[in-house]
Amino acid sequence: MLGRMNKSYDCVIIGGGPAGMAAAMGAMDTGVSDILVVERDPEPGGILRQCIHSGFGLHYFKEELTGPEYAERFLEKMIDNDVDVVSNSYVSGISIDSDGSKQVRILHPKAGLSSIRCKSVVLAMGCRERTRGAIRIPGSRPAGVLSAGLAQKFVNMNGYLPGKKIAILGSGDIGLIMARRLVLEGCEVVGVFEMMPYSNGLTRNVVQCLDDFNIPLHLSTTVARVHGRDRVSHITVAPVDEKFNIIKEKAWDVDCDTLLLSVGLIPENELSEKIGVALDVITSGPRVSSSMETTMSGVFACGNVLHVHDLVDFVTEEALSAGRYAGEYARGTRRPADSIELVPGQNVRYCVPHTLSPEREHTVYMRATQRMQPCLLRVGNLLEKKLRFVVPAEMINLKIKPDLLDKFRGEHLTIDLIPLDDDKKMEA
Amino acid sequence: MTEENTNFVCISCPMGCPLVLVTEDGEIKEVSGQQCNRGAKYAKQEYSDPKRTFSTIITIEGALYNKLPVKLTAPVPKDRIFDACKEIHKMKAVAPVKVGHVFIEGLLGLDGVNVVACRSMKKV
Amino acid sequence: MYDVAIIGGGVVGCAIARELSKYQLSTVLIEKEAEVGFGTTKTNSGIIHAGHHSSLESLKGQLVVKGNEMFDELQKELGFGFRRCGEIVVARDEEDLKTLDELKELGEKKGVKGLELWDTDRLRREEPNLSISLTGALYAPTAGVINPYEFAFSLIECAQNNGIELLVENPVQSITSTDDGLVISTSQKKIKASFVLNCAGVFADDMAGLLGLSDFTIHPRKGEEYMLDKGLEGIVKHLIFPVPKGVSKGTLIIPTYDGTIMVGPTADEVEDKYNVSTTEEGAKKVFDFVSSMCPSIHPRSTIAEFAGLRAASNTGDFIIGTTDVNGFINVAGIQSPGLTASPAIALYVLNILGKQGLELIQKDEWDPYVTPPPRFAQLSPEERSQCCKENKDFGNVVCRCELVTEAEIQTAISHGARTLDGVKFRTRAGMGRCQGGFCSSRIMEALAEDQGKEFYEITKRGKASWIVCPEGKED
Repeated sequence: MLGRMNKSYDCVIIGGGPAGMAAAMGAMDTGVSDILVVERDPEPGGILRQCIHSGFGLHYFKEELTGPEYAERFLEKMIDNDVDVVSNSYVSGISIDSDGSKQVRILHPKAGLSSIRCKSVVLAMGCRERTRGAIRIPGSRPAGVLSAGLAQKFVNMNGYLPGKKIAILGSGDIGLIMARRLVLEGCEVVGVFEMMPYSNGLTRNVVQCLDDFNIPLHLSTTVARVHGRDRVSHITVAPVDEKFNIIKEKAWDVDCDTLLLSVGLIPENELSEKIGVALDVITSGPRVSSSMETTMSGVFACGNVLHVHDLVDFVTEEALSAGRYAGEYARGTRRPADSIELVPGQNVRYCVPHTLSPEREHTVYMRATQRMQPCLLRVGNLLEKKLRFVVPAEMINLKIKPDLLDKFRGEHLTIDLIPLDDDKKMEA
Repeated sequence: MTEENTNFVCISCPMGCPLVLVTEDGEIKEVSGQQCNRGAKYAKQEYSDPKRTFSTIITIEGALYNKLPVKLTAPVPKDRIFDACKEIHKMKAVAPVKVGHVFIEGLLGLDGVNVVACRSMKKV
Repeated sequence: MYDVAIIGGGVVGCAIARELSKYQLSTVLIEKEAEVGFGTTKTNSGIIHAGHHSSLESLKGQLVVKGNEMFDELQKELGFGFRRCGEIVVARDEEDLKTLDELKELGEKKGVKGLELWDTDRLRREEPNLSISLTGALYAPTAGVINPYEFAFSLIECAQNNGIELLVENPVQSITSTDDGLVISTSQKKIKASFVLNCAGVFADDMAGLLGLSDFTIHPRKGEEYMLDKGLEGIVKHLIFPVPKGVSKGTLIIPTYDGTIMVGPTADEVEDKYNVSTTEEGAKKVFDFVSSMCPSIHPRSTIAEFAGLRAASNTGDFIIGTTDVNGFINVAGIQSPGLTASPAIALYVLNILGKQGLELIQKDEWDPYVTPPPRFAQLSPEERSQCCKENKDFGNVVCRCELVTEAEIQTAISHGARTLDGVKFRTRAGMGRCQGGFCSSRIMEALAEDQGKEFYEITKRGKASWIVCPEGKED
């Protein structure tokens, strides 16, 4: 029920975005009935509430939905299944009692500081955006430099424009989507600047968001300086070399009153660090076992807090799984430690989960470090699969079944992505 | 006979194959560069009658937020996107609204192109 | 007609305002920005100097030690954060070691307490993260850190509680001398006062110039500062100074009051009094230098950067005194150690006013105290629970990164915050890892509601710093 918070639960899920909501569904599937979802915004739905464009649900619902539609489907399920959801609520800490049960400290606008007891916890706090300070753009500090996500919130939820003449740094999907949004709302988007030699976003977005509106995309270019006293007056942009150093001599000024930054997402693991779960430095998210459990017993993780996703459908899949394991844990199931460490090999940036077990089916999520077309996905000596096209911006997911791991006797299983030459045709 | 080549990037799947559409006196002759048959279909559509769908926001009164997201249920011709936006922005909603509520049927007189709410919004 | 008008609401103007509020006088502080401290003060490094760096002959040297000693009492009364973390000046070679000896002697002559020379063993024990190539250090236990804007806010709040009038967004456009006082015209009103104190910082020479006075000039010297990630908190315990070379105190490692490590400042003369930009060259200078003192500091750890302008005078010293215009008193050229000296400067100025004939009759009732705003993030679970019981707004977290609640936002607003930065500097909301990405819209809503304004009328820091604009319906 929306707004209800009891003193104890089987599972407490931290975050009511797509990951949290799917985790609640997953937990319910195991027969657990006392589930609390804690959401810090005024309503659940997470970032989907402001992602009003389509592209969600193609895999999960076999329909193309907008973000809010996708979120609402899950919200309905939660209400129908009597999951408790509290909003404007913030988890300030988690401690473990001697009997293993968890005490989740929640700041709630009516109940104040409450300690909620539960058996298992799912971390689903999502991520935040990288800021100007973190990428260090020198210059003045006028109003008008903001993250694309904040601009998206201002436009889609508050109904205000971040400015009239907009420059965007970063050609990932958020930057591209916002370019289109702003043009449709009457702004002028003067250009999208991307430090890499290629766009990080889906080609579909480059076409539909930039090409359609003749917004120039400047690759291998970055913002060298911000100008303006109280408000942005213009920016200086410059091409970068192979080492991403600014080539000062070729810099030029771009007139604008707003600079949007779409320069990366960082999983929000402040709480995770606080309670002491081990993090993976590459993903910046918790290390998890094949049952999506962190290094802290009974604490599970899923969604963007675990590793930054690009398709919400995979977040849902991952979270359903984490929720199921959290539910089973609440019902008393304890699992032996995984026996296989999954190792990111050639051209693989990371793999999640971090360990595998021959006892269950897994969906392993991974990212490549470079573009490869085509390439061979190799899992130890157990499996080889040809992939037509692989880019770092698109997460790869691979189902690994128990019978595959049955034959494996080692402790480390390496996943490689090996680029293939075009004329070497492999049997799929 | 004037033969013309038009370049597209196919957006049907993440591959983004570069396509070349060959036309003769405006008539489509062939498509090359695709790695599957969706590419040919896309190029032909894009050439003869490019369409787009999009989402936008309309003002809503009495809800938690000032704006309600809406979307098109079918694409409109690409060159009419701004006209479409203009029409949609004239709408004003009042809470409560249910997801899927049809605000405009047959936008710009186009059959099947409806403007619907992307979410429900309660009255506060 | 006022007895005293103070031009400039930086830390100096605010300190003087508080001092004046003890007396039966009518005083007004005129500030051109949207809030006090929005000029150089908020960009100040926040160091309360021990005082051994300034020469005895200068006004700086005379006022800095006295100022330093006043901070314990001020902290008790005004509740701002203050930590005497101590300072060490580190030597990099033999010559530096000689300079340390000289500094110690100079300091002792001026009454700086507790100065101690450290050898490499002691240095390594006390500050294990500093470079092992350092040859020694001079320790000054009386140095400390504050948040300069917090100090300014508490000073003005006390002054206002005791009757001082504050005018913000009132840039002074002209000053005329008449028979019975000085008339100041701002963009909004006319103010007449017997005495005018020129505390206009970087613009002090411009203010004096309005009366045709040209005894001094201000040469703004820009300092860039870089804030480092929370992960580096605690990497040094003391303020780390290099042995001074030249006119500036050098590039420092500063463990700020809130724990964040800050490195800088640079020192570059600039022409433009509004140039507060950071630069690639500045960053390089800072990090090259600082990493030689502390190898674990890397430019990658930066989370924020900013710059401010020192109001450096052509004499290099404070310029505090009467002028050829009756009633117009300069309190100019206040650069380092101006923050430390500010309470002593206030007393010094009071003295001048007294000598100039201003009747200083103490009020019967003067309240020195200001209740510091609650810092939910720093409370224990029991204290937090209690806060929530007393005020439900403590249960509503607005800034997740710094754990700032709705109650604190409202307190900041009721204590004078009118801009997004005003709330930020009073509560820390927006200073954390997401740099306002999640909390800005809620804070803007709260400000708009308080001021009866539209959301888009709320600015970052006043004037033209608008954040969003309404959708243009101009078709």
